[in-house]
Amino acid sequence: MANVEAALKEAMTGIEGSLGVALVDYTSGMALGTVGGGKDLDLTVAAAGNTDVVRAKVRTMEMLGLKDEIEDILISLDTQYHLIRLMKARGSKGLFLYLALDKTRANLAMARHQLRSIEGDLEI
Amino acid sequence: MRRVLRARPERGLPVVEAALGEELRRLRARVPSLTGSVVAASDGLVLARDLATGDADGTAALTAAAMGVAVRMSDDAGHGALRELLVHGEDGYVACYRAGSAAVLTVLAQARINVGRLHLESRAASGRIGRLVDVATRDTPAPLRLPYRQR
Repeated sequence: MANVEAALKEAMTGIEGSLGVALVDYTSGMALGTVGGGKDLDLTVAAAGNTDVVRAKVRTMEMLGLKDEIEDILISLDTQYHLIRLMKARGSKGLFLYLALDKTRANLAMARHQLRSIEGDLEI
Repeated sequence: MRRVLRARPERGLPVVEAALGEELRRLRARVPSLTGSVVAASDGLVLARDLATGDADGTAALTAAAMGVAVRMSDDAGHGALRELLVHGEDGYVACYRAGSAAVLTVLAQARINVGRLHLESRAASGRIGRLVDVATRDTPAPLRLPYRQR
């Protein structure tokens, strides 16, 4: 089991091509922790913006009548991948991990696999 | 020769009021679940309002009172000058942001608001509002010395 800071650091250093990672509370849109980022990637803005993405998808699924849950959301840009992974563990509902990757350096399948195991180990 | 004294239309408080109102409307358009906002002077008077319902005068007065306590609380804790104040009720939020040296932006929002986004947008807006109010109060001397134009 890892705490928030350790989990985010592991995602940043362990996942090839990481540009920034954040743990975000999508009930409030605020980040519980961030690692990486910088002037090209403001993780506070990303946290607030991607909260709207997650909320929109949750609402859409409600409207479609889908009794299912989001595992992750992938957004592919020209030069980056953005991966949103919703926390499943009890006590960490309403949180998601957000990971920005450099498309040229990242291995998407590996990154997704690693993020899943980091999420599983994360203790809030 | 007849002289008409008239304040320069491009300066002064009416122009600033319009700019403040525009800033508040833009804020409401940009942040979903935001129900209204008020710019209050430090003494609790309304400088601008954008409220669908509710009492702007009361909100401004309460803003001044709450900010007064919060300023002391921050100072007492040794955390320096107050930047903002967030009140979280069961059915919504009230957030106050210091705007320059003489004003406060108070924002009302529903409980489902994205607080991260509220902060991002409101901090930017309060910065612009603070500059507007600070410039206006600096450029508007006592009434008798208003810049007049002769005709």
